[in-house]
This record gives sequence, structure tokens and C-alpha cells, in this order.
Amino acid sequence: MGAPGCVSGISSVKALFINGLYWGGTEAGRKGRVMAKSLKNVTRLVADLELEQIASVVQESLDAGTEPLAILQAMSAGMIQVGKLFEQGEYYLADLVLAGEVMKEGIQVLEPHFSMDAFRTKGTVVLCTVKGDIHDIGKNLVANMLTGSGFNVVDLGVDVHEDRVVEAVKRSGARALGLSVLLTPMVKSVSDVVAALEAQGLRARVKIAIGGACTTPELVQKLGVDALGRDPLEAMRIFESFVKE
Amino acid sequence: MGACHDRVLAALERREPDRVPTLDVLEEISNVYEILEKKPLPFGFLFSNPHTGRVVNRLAPLINRSHLFDREMDRFSHDRTRASVKMGYDSTWVMHVPIWRFRDTRTVVDIYGRRYDAGMDGKGNLATPMYREGLISCPQDWADWDKKDLFRLPERANRAFSRIQKDFGDQVFIFGAFLYGLFENSWQPMGFERFAVAVRREKAFIRRVIKFYEDHFCMMLEAWADAGLPGAVYTDDMAYRSGPMLNPRIMRELYSDAFHRITETAHALGMKIVVHSCGNVLPLLEWFAECGFDGVHALEPTAGVTLAAAKERVGDRMCLLGNMDITHILVDADRDEVFEAVRTSIQAAGHGGGYILAPTNSHQSMSVQRIRWMLEAVERYGAYPLTGGAGPAA
Repeated sequence: MGAPGCVSGISSVKALFINGLYWGGTEAGRKGRVMAKSLKNVTRLVADLELEQIASVVQESLDAGTEPLAILQAMSAGMIQVGKLFEQGEYYLADLVLAGEVMKEGIQVLEPHFSMDAFRTKGTVVLCTVKGDIHDIGKNLVANMLTGSGFNVVDLGVDVHEDRVVEAVKRSGARALGLSVLLTPMVKSVSDVVAALEAQGLRARVKIAIGGACTTPELVQKLGVDALGRDPLEAMRIFESFVKE
Repeated sequence: MGACHDRVLAALERREPDRVPTLDVLEEISNVYEILEKKPLPFGFLFSNPHTGRVVNRLAPLINRSHLFDREMDRFSHDRTRASVKMGYDSTWVMHVPIWRFRDTRTVVDIYGRRYDAGMDGKGNLATPMYREGLISCPQDWADWDKKDLFRLPERANRAFSRIQKDFGDQVFIFGAFLYGLFENSWQPMGFERFAVAVRREKAFIRRVIKFYEDHFCMMLEAWADAGLPGAVYTDDMAYRSGPMLNPRIMRELYSDAFHRITETAHALGMKIVVHSCGNVLPLLEWFAECGFDGVHALEPTAGVTLAAAKERVGDRMCLLGNMDITHILVDADRDEVFEAVRTSIQAAGHGGGYILAPTNSHQSMSVQRIRWMLEAVERYGAYPLTGGAGPAA
């Protein structure tokens, strides 16, 4: 039996629970239970959007000896709950933004203690708002959801020329690309990206999802992209399916 | 007043007029001047040409002080109303927004505290500037913000709309409007991320900003009413594709009192008032009705809003306006598709009155020809009493 937090193939959060149960009344067991409780608290704070408390509770968890990765996974679990509450109509756009802020506050405390790369294991997604369009709320929310759930996100920002997209896909080796477009006149910029990827022989390697106010299922076919994300949670599921394929 | 007024008023009061009325929302320079068969002033060239652009960059402060663009806005609002009349619309939503100040050919700020990117519309004209970020991030920024142009806005609107109403008021029902509503004015000058946090941490500050714009909007209503306008559009995007941007409970808490006062002021001045919001507003419709709005516009099909769902929720309390798709139907659809879209909209919302057919918004890719087909189709399918509706004309 390994030390707490080292159960092979199981997340660190689950490992803490299991070890806590196994070691029963021993000191290690007591410590495991305290850590597990603390991680549950972290998850709850993210899910409840407790911006004011998250930093201090994350710090307390670190001080108690909890692995930074376990804390981040607990935060990520909170983010998934936020997504579910959004889907159920309990949370709204501003709540997703707030959840992103809660994550940022917590990550700021964690970052000096470990490399985020250990958490970013789900794959790489390149995101941007297309050329001619500078709306970024939707894109930023998708980026927050993806980052919070373990993706490596290459966010190119807004008004991004297709050449920069191609370059980012090449460099990052991403197999998933998200294009945000709010305005109908800018839809052509999506086609420009698709054409540029095809010209570079990259289209078969990367799957493309679009999102934004003017996007429709008809546009997915018309533009030759692979999926449409209507909200950040749907976008996250699409990218999860892209990187699994 | 002409038949168009009776038609629009009947629909706003949820009575059956002689025909389903129409509302023009077109705000694009290229489309307006295509309708008028005129050339717009060459501001687009001045901004995009590198030589003249350099001159504009140097003279920007002088241009702003001279209110050159404000005067151009007066002229454009007049021209776009003329275009509505020429197209044969029953009503028109005339946006008069002398709010932008050019820093140079690429950057614009507005009188509320937003920064935009200036750009071209692809047809040689200046496009509506695109919002980039807010400039007011804290209460001190707000206190320091120069508001003198805000206080001048009602006077300028009164002057512009007096002329518009005098020239076209008997030919088309005019809804006065300006940018922006209370929600947009409370979040955009600080950015949405900052706003989402401020709603939680600095509610008193947010309330102060809302109160300021509530008073300001009521002054605008006074100015429009004095100019003789019969209607107003309260334009404020409160929803996104997936639903309201802010929890409706918090929306109610923060904005209900202001909305009630705005609608009561409009009604006391003898005006009808319609709320416009893009996005999926279905969860907000009942609140809009409670606040006293006479109608609700946009009802975007691409955001999942159907006329049937809106009619069921608030059709007995508010007039529905809009729902004509601007991503395909009024951009590149064929004639049959346009006719079918009009027919289905009228069938879904027109029975018993309370529907004004209109595009959901305005952008430069919209086709004037498709708008003509839309208006033609309303003549075909919109006469009361409504029938089941035949297929489109050959």
C-alpha cells in the first residue's frame, strides 16, 4: 500500500478518501479524513462561487499537507458542478464568469507549488474569436471551463487572422479548434480558417467547433466544420469528444 | 395620422388591425443609401485611405469638438427614416446616437466610457464601431468621468427628432431610441468580468450607476415626447444565446424599479414603449410584462426563441415584435424561403393581433431585396382576419 494520494490510476481526491477509510483510526487516517473534508470544502466553494473564501481555504489545504494537484482536481470538480447548474438553469452567464474568477484566485495560490502541466492532461484546444470580430465573452467562458477541467488551452484572443490559427495548430499539435463568431458578416472568416487549414494539410488532423450568436446547425454544414457549441458546457463536451477520437 | 399609426397602435394594444404591421430596424449605411439610391458621404474613404487617415488622426480632437459626426448622425437618422418610408414600413425604430468620439481612425470612445474598434463595413462605409473594453473600472473612474455630453444628449435628440417627426411622422410610426440601456450601461463601461464581481462586491456602486441612467433615460423620454414621437424603444441586450446574462432574480432586484419608472414615464407622456433585447429572453419575458413594457422586440430564432413560446408566455400582456431571421432569411435566402418565413411567423404570432413583423436586428450583410420580399409577403399573408396561408407566389 502506498502513501496517501498515490493510488495508481485513481484521482488524488479519491485516493485521499480511500486511504482515509483504510487507515481507519491511525494518525494517517485522521490526516486523510481532514484532507478529504478540506477538499470537499474546496469543491463546494467553487460550486457556490465563493470568491472571497477560496484563496484562504486553498492555502489552508496546502498548509495541511494536501497535494496541490488534489486541490486543483477538487476545484475542477466544483467547476463541473457549476457547469451542471448552468445547464439546469440555476446559474447564468455572470455565474460562469464568477466561477472562472474563483478558479483564478485558487490557482494563483497553487501555482507557486507545482506545474500546471500535471493537471492539463486532457489535451490541447486552440481557441479564438475570428478575424473581424472582437467579442470575447463566450470564448473566455469556454476557455475558463476547459482550463478548469484539465485542458491545455491556447487562447489566441480576438480578431485573429487565419494564418495565426494555422500557426497555433501546427505549433501546439492541437487536435481541437474552437472558433467564436458573434456577427453574421464575420462568418466568412470561419471559412477562411477552414480553407487555410486545408491548404496546409492540417484539416484532417484538427476538428473544429464553432460557437456564437449567429451560428446555427446549418452553418456547421455550410462551413465544413465539425460541431456547434451553444453554450460553454456543450463546448466542453464537444472538445472532450474531439480529443478522445 | 395615417393608417400605419392605427395599425401599429392596434398591434401594440393587442387588437387585430387591418393587417400585421411592420417595423424597420435597418441601421446600416450601405443599405439605407441603397434604398434611397444615393451615395453616402465618403467618411469611409477618409478613414481607410492612409493619406486622409493621417489627417483625420491629427485633427481628431478638432473633429470631435466641432461635433461633425454628431451632425452626420442627425442627417443619417433623418435619411434612414426616409428610407423606412420609401420601403413602405408601418413603423420604424430610429436610433439617434451622437455618442462616439474618434481618438483616431482605428479607435473610438463613447460618452459612457467604452472603447471600440473603428472599422469598415466591407462596402466602403464606416461600420458601427465594435465594443472592445470598458474604461470605468471603479467608483472613482465613474466619479471622474466627464458627463457633459451625456447631459447634452436629450437636447440634441429633441432637435433631431422634432425634424424627423415633422417630415415623416404622418407617414410612419416612429419609435425613438438611443444607445444604451441600463444593463448595458452598467456592465460594458467596466467589462463583464469586472461587472460579474462588482455585482457581488460593490452593489451600491452598481445601483448608483443604474439610478443615474434611469434618470437619464427618463430625460430622453421627455425629449422624444416633446418632439412628438408616439413611441420609444428601450434597447438593452440582457440575454445571450443561452439565456439571460445575469440571474433573473438579480436582474429584478437591480433593475425592476428603474424599468417600472421608465415605462410609467413613457405612458404618462402618451408614448408606447417596447423593450429590445437580443439573445434568449424567454426567461425574462414575464418580468418585462410586469415592468409595463407594451412590447418586446428581437425574439431571435437563432437564440432558440420561438414566437409560439413567447405568445404563450406573454401574448396576453405584450405585443411581440421581430423574429425574422437575419443570419439566413434576410441575407441569402431565396424568395420562397422568405415568403415561408413570413407566413409561419404570422401564423405563429399574428392571431388575435399583438404581432409586429420585423427583422431581429440590423447588419451590413442584410439584403434590401430580401427585405422587399419580406414586406411583399406581409401584404400577402398578413391581412386580418388571418387565414391558414397559401404557399409563396410563383
